[in-house]
Amino acid sequence: MAKKIVVDPIPRIEGHLRIEAKLNDGNVIEDAYSSGTMWRGIEVILKGRDPRDAWAFAERICGVCTTVHALASVRCVEDALGIEVPANARIIRNLMNATQVTQDHLVHFYHLHALDWVDVVSALKADPKQASVIAQSISSWPKSSVGYFKDLQQRLVGFVESGQLGIFSNGYWGHAAYKLPPEVNLIAVAHYLEALDFQKEIVKIHTIFGGKNPHPNYLVGGMACAIDPNKDTAINIERLSMIKKIIDDTNTFIDQVYIPDLLAIAGYYKGWLYGGGLGNYLSYGDFPETNLADFKTLLWPRGAILNKDLTTVIDVDPRDASQVTEEVSHSWYTYSKGDAKGLHPWQGETTPKYTGPKPPFQHLDTDKKYSWLKTPRWKNHPMEVGPLARVLIAYAKGDPMIKDTVGLVLSKLEVGPEALFSTLGRTAARGIECKQTAGFMRHYYDQLVANIKTGDYRTFNSDRWDPSTWPAECKGFGYTEAPRGSLGHWIHIKDQKIQEYQIVVPSTWNASPRDANGNSGAYEAALKGTPMINPEQPLEILRTVHSFDPCLACASHLFDMNGNEITSVKIV
Amino acid sequence: MGFFILYQLIIFAVKYNRINIIGLGNVLYGDEGFGVAALNSMQESATFPDSVHFIDGGTQGIYLLDYIESCDAVIVFDALIPLDYDRQVYVYRNEELPAFIHRKMSSHQMGFSEMLGIAKLHGKMPKEIVLIGVPPKDLELNIGLSPEISLLLPLAVEEGTAIVNRWLQEGVEIHD
Repeated sequence: MAKKIVVDPIPRIEGHLRIEAKLNDGNVIEDAYSSGTMWRGIEVILKGRDPRDAWAFAERICGVCTTVHALASVRCVEDALGIEVPANARIIRNLMNATQVTQDHLVHFYHLHALDWVDVVSALKADPKQASVIAQSISSWPKSSVGYFKDLQQRLVGFVESGQLGIFSNGYWGHAAYKLPPEVNLIAVAHYLEALDFQKEIVKIHTIFGGKNPHPNYLVGGMACAIDPNKDTAINIERLSMIKKIIDDTNTFIDQVYIPDLLAIAGYYKGWLYGGGLGNYLSYGDFPETNLADFKTLLWPRGAILNKDLTTVIDVDPRDASQVTEEVSHSWYTYSKGDAKGLHPWQGETTPKYTGPKPPFQHLDTDKKYSWLKTPRWKNHPMEVGPLARVLIAYAKGDPMIKDTVGLVLSKLEVGPEALFSTLGRTAARGIECKQTAGFMRHYYDQLVANIKTGDYRTFNSDRWDPSTWPAECKGFGYTEAPRGSLGHWIHIKDQKIQEYQIVVPSTWNASPRDANGNSGAYEAALKGTPMINPEQPLEILRTVHSFDPCLACASHLFDMNGNEITSVKIV
Repeated sequence: MGFFILYQLIIFAVKYNRINIIGLGNVLYGDEGFGVAALNSMQESATFPDSVHFIDGGTQGIYLLDYIESCDAVIVFDALIPLDYDRQVYVYRNEELPAFIHRKMSSHQMGFSEMLGIAKLHGKMPKEIVLIGVPPKDLELNIGLSPEISLLLPLAVEEGTAIVNRWLQEGVEIHD
């Protein structure tokens, strides 16, 4: 009997995600549908406001990535008004962005994704002596003694027995899809807790440059922080050396903990190469070495790959009305010139029109409109965005650091590049990228110090701060590569106010519904063909959905083809 | 006299070296932004020593862990759903509290109560945690609190200010 799985909403902030999947008789996913079930109307809120304030509102639309929206927003307004930011501001933004990506990837791996591969309960059975031997064989990280693992195991036993630890309460412990020996599970749990402690340090860099965290200050025209090596209240020698220490510690943690864990865990799962999906990858690029408009200097290259063809990286221009478009043939909006016609964000419209079933409901009518997410397409192709897309594009373009690291990972795992087109590949790409951005943190620190040494303390360009200097009407595009993928803000300024504002976020690319041609979005495609060991415990779905690092959380319900619910599961 | 003040400061540092005030919520969704509004209002109206810190936590989950673990006492302002609607402003202390914070804040899905669990596991729980909140009336997309909740805001801030003042005093009194 064929069955249907539904992945349904939970949280209330970033918007909800629901995935419906049909299982065939062999418990393999035949088809999947991804639906955003909550409307986010930031575009409506920004209309009529001062463009210089837009970042402060935009950064509230996501619960995690506040800084990426602030960054895309100030870049977008600066692009519209023709503002070039001082070198220090560019470098500080890059450093903050590298910090954000590094911390986010680290947290994602250990705290959102690891438990899809790591069985916490199995860790209770581990032999601490053996765990210590394994830990010391894969890394020189000092916390690896027998006593350390023994002590941790005892604390864990206490916690599991008390039933107190919510973070470990959602697992399918003992599921046959878990492949790690107890000792590797114990090491991973130890590092789960260590990473939780360590990640707090990384973002202190945001506090130093942004004045506060969360929600550090950004500024159209530069950054709001003052630089003066000899002043107590400014970015001075003391603060710079604090930053240096955090960067060094971060690199050590990633090299000695994250990467060895990733390789050790992946080694046990390299036979599970499902979840590849579309094979189309897009990146706007990021980390400008000079002016942002000169995208040739981006350390993360811009480009697109179609059909897994790593021999060709196609040029991308997000300003081109025929390239990046959003249509609403399967989304609860209406367009004045037809829902199936893709509109470039500068021509974008946001007119909600809900035609779905009245909640609570069991099924969406997936033949019709079924999502609050619009359907972004690049030259009419559905695209995957995020770490795997960026790593593949850099790899295909021959970026030396990425080529080396990818090569190292593949050879350690004894697999070919085709293994990258998978859920595990996406997870590995995130680790590879995290190592890279930790390196960027060093790079930008050095750049900043070198620039300050020349006597340049400027962080703000005030030439166009006064609205009377603005043109009567102008348009701008601001982009960044957020941890989860390509983020674009498009603005239309008229009479010194925001006339239109459109945002296309990474999860809209990845979680998009079908388009008018019936092409699946990235999640939908990635889930197809995945065999489930036990449909009542859809661990395999969690793995693939989590591997995209969705900025929408979800829960899953299992249905048979008659619409009868088998089970209901939170994907958190 | 100078000696006396110094003495007070030292004692104060022993009891509550650092007090954090955290506002939670999303300001784009009406009363959902209650916690942040209360935080801002308290910051404007109250005068506290430098040991009291104000944190606009927004909808960040796990990233707020440091603000829990790094202080001796914490006040959290948030919109909440009480068991009984028998009061205007709800104040919960220490062990009463996790049950009322269900917020799943980020994609990383570390809710505030899970974070308290982790702080406990790390052995870094503050000595005092207080949650002050009101049930939201309007959660639609718009900036600003509903008229009903705006009226309750000063009451919540007053509660919070009184508690912080008590903590500050206690730090001295205990050794008197």
